[in-house]
Amino acid sequence: MLELDAVTVRFGGLTALSGISFRIAKGEILGLVGPNGAGKTTLFNSISGLVKARGRISFNGREVTSLPLHKRARAGIGRTFQIPQPMHHLTVRENLAVAQVFGAGRHDATRIDEILAVMELSHKADADAATALALQELKRLEIAKALATEPKLLLLDEVLAGLESNAKRSFMLKLKELHALFGLTIVIVEHDIETISGLCTRAVVLNFGQLIADGTPAEVFNNPAVVESYTGTAHA
Amino acid sequence: MPVTSNASVQAKPASPSRVQGAVTGAGLVVLALLPLAAGASPYMLGLLISALILAGLALSWALLGNLGGMVSFGHAAFFGVGAYGSALLAGKLGVPVLLAIPLGGLIATVFSLAMLPALRLSGPYFALAILAYAQIFRILATELDWLTGGAAGLQRYPGLPTVLGFNLADRAGSYVLVLAFVAVFAFVYMALRRSHVGTALRAIADSEDATRVVGVNATVLKTWMLLLSAFIAGVFGALNAHIIGFLEPDYAFSGIWSVMPIIAAVFGGYRSVLGPVFGAVVIYLFDQVIAKSLIPVGHQILLGIVLAIMVLLAPNGLSGLVARFLPRLTGRSLSNAEKGHA
Repeated sequence: MLELDAVTVRFGGLTALSGISFRIAKGEILGLVGPNGAGKTTLFNSISGLVKARGRISFNGREVTSLPLHKRARAGIGRTFQIPQPMHHLTVRENLAVAQVFGAGRHDATRIDEILAVMELSHKADADAATALALQELKRLEIAKALATEPKLLLLDEVLAGLESNAKRSFMLKLKELHALFGLTIVIVEHDIETISGLCTRAVVLNFGQLIADGTPAEVFNNPAVVESYTGTAHA
Repeated sequence: MPVTSNASVQAKPASPSRVQGAVTGAGLVVLALLPLAAGASPYMLGLLISALILAGLALSWALLGNLGGMVSFGHAAFFGVGAYGSALLAGKLGVPVLLAIPLGGLIATVFSLAMLPALRLSGPYFALAILAYAQIFRILATELDWLTGGAAGLQRYPGLPTVLGFNLADRAGSYVLVLAFVAVFAFVYMALRRSHVGTALRAIADSEDATRVVGVNATVLKTWMLLLSAFIAGVFGALNAHIIGFLEPDYAFSGIWSVMPIIAAVFGGYRSVLGPVFGAVVIYLFDQVIAKSLIPVGHQILLGIVLAIMVLLAPNGLSGLVARFLPRLTGRSLSNAEKGHA
């Protein structure tokens, strides 16, 4: 599904990602873990095309490294932002319509209604996106927008951050439902070990822009290098 | 999905698009009847024609700002190129005037392609780039003596023709023709806004990354808006050229054609379709009729004061005021989709 080969991102003299290589199989739910500044969002940005990366990024057997952002979205790479970015002056329904028309290349009002229902946003469908939604609803809208593009791969950037524990649990169930319902491959950035363990079949850990662990959640969270990165001890 | 039980017995509200269409239509009818209300004197008709030329230019500026998210300080470039293009086609090649006018718009569109590198710029940088662009064309029109007549300009080119016995060159005919062009472009603008492309363009103005990440090619859509805006500005430049019957670089590329559409659009409410049109009519008539009679020299100072007051008290302009007060008069509230969009 997705293959990263020596992906490197530099901002001036700063190396944000250094030679990241791993594969994601179709249908996986992969947790992307690491302390703040580890390079998780930069990796999402390079996969989705928001920043230019060196190395090679292949999606469904096609190299997408030099494809612009909108073409990667049309190819099936959907993503959310850590801070929700709704299209502010549009209603929730219009947000989804734009995503569907341009991302999936068709307009299907029934499908939009289905996505609104699944994301529990039907009652807010004609509300202005930025002004009428609470944080949790904005996060649902982020995912709904991405789903409207009919993605094969969904990159979720800290969609559970800021939610209290009950909301977080219900959101986790929702993500599992989406995974099954839409046949998605999901990569999720998350700090919470419990969430990763409950949701993901595999976890990849970044630290200082480098991949330091890759395995099942149990394996990576018992990895001494991962423990060091989280406890702040000097990295060997 | 829950369904309201009383939905079937309630009167279905008019859709926002129908409301917007009706308001736009009513607004254009008001403009059509304006000469009668103004006494239809040749002087007033002349002022109203100039106001409508400005209205068309303001519409093109607002389209670029509202849908393209670009602030232009250089619409004089498109206006002037359209004017010269049409005058040269009609005067030197004998192209019929009614064909030369849209071709003038097309020439302005082609010349606007030179602005495409500036689309990568945003905010004040784009505004400055397009301002410089307008200056380049003013200088070219002055220096290309063999083509444009240089600083002396062009005088010998045809005016508006008579069609089916209706003389478009007289003031009533010119008014109807310019109003027809304003109406056509207003409905094109409205249809575009209502389309998915228009919705995406409004979203681009909010957050380009948020739209690109769902597959919107923001650069291509913004390019189309620049081309369309240049076309509309060029058409009104061409219309103006054939109405006034002379062209010189300092007039055709005057900064007035860059500044006045901004004032008109902001005064009328640039986020709406009809706001820039009515803003242009009100501002122009206020300047020419009231301000000039009060302060014959330097009357523009009153224009500045009125605009400042409007921006401070009603930042959404005339259309915002209508959206605020109309529901109180009619007893119904406007939906979010209707507010300020007509």
